[in-house]
Amino acid sequence: MSRRHTLSWCLLATGATATGLALWAALTSSFDDNPPAIFVFFALIALAWTTGGAAAARRPAGQRMGILMTSVGVTWVLGALTDVDNSFAFTLGLLLNNLWAAVLLHALLAFPSGRLEPRARLPVALGYVSVLPVQFAMVMVATPKDLNSCDHGCADNALLVTRNQDAFHALAVFQIVLAAVAIVWGVVLLIRSWRRATPLERRAIAPIVWLGSTAILMVIVGSIVSTFSKSGADVPGLISLTAFLLVPIAFVVGLVRARLARSAVGDLVVELGETPGPGGLRDALVRSLRDPSLEVAYWLPEEHAYVDAEGRPFPDPAPDRGTTLVMHAGERVAMLVHDPALAEQRELVDAATAAAGLALSNERLQAELRRRLEELRRSRARLVEAGDAERRRLERDLHDGAQQRLVALSLTLRLARSRLESDPAAAEQALTAAEEQLTQALAELRELARGIHPAVLSDHGLAPALRALADRDPLPVDLDVSLEERLPWQVEVASYFVVAESLTNVAKYAGASAVRIEVGRVDGRATVLIADDGVGGADPRRGSGLRGLTDRVEALDGRLTVKSPQGQGTTVLAEFPLHAE
Amino acid sequence: MSSGLAACEHARMAIRVLIVDDHAAFRATARSLLEADGLEVVGEAGDGASGIAAARSIRPEVVLLDVQLPDTDGFAVAAELAGNGHRPTIVLTSSRSAEELAGMLATTAADGFIPKAELSGAALASFLR
Repeated sequence: MSRRHTLSWCLLATGATATGLALWAALTSSFDDNPPAIFVFFALIALAWTTGGAAAARRPAGQRMGILMTSVGVTWVLGALTDVDNSFAFTLGLLLNNLWAAVLLHALLAFPSGRLEPRARLPVALGYVSVLPVQFAMVMVATPKDLNSCDHGCADNALLVTRNQDAFHALAVFQIVLAAVAIVWGVVLLIRSWRRATPLERRAIAPIVWLGSTAILMVIVGSIVSTFSKSGADVPGLISLTAFLLVPIAFVVGLVRARLARSAVGDLVVELGETPGPGGLRDALVRSLRDPSLEVAYWLPEEHAYVDAEGRPFPDPAPDRGTTLVMHAGERVAMLVHDPALAEQRELVDAATAAAGLALSNERLQAELRRRLEELRRSRARLVEAGDAERRRLERDLHDGAQQRLVALSLTLRLARSRLESDPAAAEQALTAAEEQLTQALAELRELARGIHPAVLSDHGLAPALRALADRDPLPVDLDVSLEERLPWQVEVASYFVVAESLTNVAKYAGASAVRIEVGRVDGRATVLIADDGVGGADPRRGSGLRGLTDRVEALDGRLTVKSPQGQGTTVLAEFPLHAE
Repeated sequence: MSSGLAACEHARMAIRVLIVDDHAAFRATARSLLEADGLEVVGEAGDGASGIAAARSIRPEVVLLDVQLPDTDGFAVAAELAGNGHRPTIVLTSSRSAEELAGMLATTAADGFIPKAELSGAALASFLR
């Protein structure tokens, strides 16, 4: 049995024993003249508080509250000592007759944690002063009849020094003023904490604040009436008793609400079985946690980022929001962003996230899938776009380059023919120009063809093709290709363009003095690494060149990583899986 | 072959031509070719804006106008020149064929079109207004 349960049983046993003893004392009393029904009412109240305390003690962090509530019940039955024949016990009863009221105030102001906030300590202390030292002084100067404890035939007041009506009345007024200040102060604090509470906190404290405030106000009314009334104690006593019975009911209502919240987790489990669509899981959690502001962010371990159910990036939560990490099977699955007051209901949140763990895990996978699909759709669109742009560029290059040269060549040849007879020298000059134009046209066509696809790559493989790239580069390039055999042609082409584009970028932006290229084959993967010693700071998300390379590499299930810390050079690493074919 | 050229020779005056094309190599070759054919190249321009400016200041009889220009296209330049007070003969040229440009040539303000490879003084003079 846990410590919580042990404490709970102890509280119940203490309360029941105290109530039993009090009932026995009252029923065996030789002078009490109250009807037995009053005792039953009296005992019910004590048992309600005791049971409430025992139930509260079972809740996590409810031990202090449980002890306080049971203390209310036990101090309540101490009043029964004023019914016993033994003089000492009777006098003790006179002294502690009103202690329960101070304990009640203490319990109300300590709700729900069981601890008093600093600002609540003074009213509680005033309450204790009014029912302990002031009561002690009153007992020394008054008879039991003055103290309204019995009419006739009761035991002696062992503490009576001398009966002094004036002193007694002055003390009684002082006691009531002290108690009233303490109580009004306490009610103000309760209302203040109500006004400051978040909606979720209000749900928890509502019954206690309203029933508790009503009850202590009724106790005040009852006390005032009983002190100044000469017509007997029955009516005001009944008011006090009724009020007092309301408060443990308030606590019970609070407990029932907590239970309802727990059964909402049961509803959640049922709803989860009905496979909600995207966002449906969030709605189910909103209902069971009763927090309309709840948001669910799913964790993508590969991207090290949170996304929403649709796979869109999830912004960092505002600092005034509460967050709860959801783990499933030892892995981070999601983050709930919620009303910070939910932290008070840790047990409920834990139960809900435990129940929803598997569903959240599934939804996380869905979100990841949606994100990947979206990324795939985008990269496919980009690949098509890049292909179109490439074709436009080729057309433009052909038109501006080789075609213009050939047009000029054609005109020059016509010029030469027209001068052949009239001016042979000019004709020869034109033919020389034509030859030059033809040479240039051929060179441009070769260059263009190599840009489309380097013949050396398909004919001789990656190493000589990269060597040609390295030799043409303006910077010294340290090229290390360690491949036993040729790679699949798609990988060769992608690797070639990764190197070509990277070298172009290095020449354009890096301000580097040397470049290192390493190509190898590790664990069924081909790796291509280009590292420079330049300025770094390249952003792979910017610039269509790197984006296009990423698409090209990812189209082969590969991965392109760019590391470019400011001032420490840039490293581009392309990795391709090599499937056994 | 061409009544326009004959008329010109009769007047003992060479036809004055402005070449608007962004390829310097083509401008140079076209200049030699047209001059060999007895025309006078009075100016060259590399883009639409300077072509229009040159046409207004030089007032050539013929503007040989490339369809593809860096700042605009030959059709727009032709429309601009045609709306002007001084209205030269406007002949479009391109390394593309007339079939490729048929849609645009159908509505142009220009007087004619010569594929670049078929350029000659006689071809140019044939469109003279």
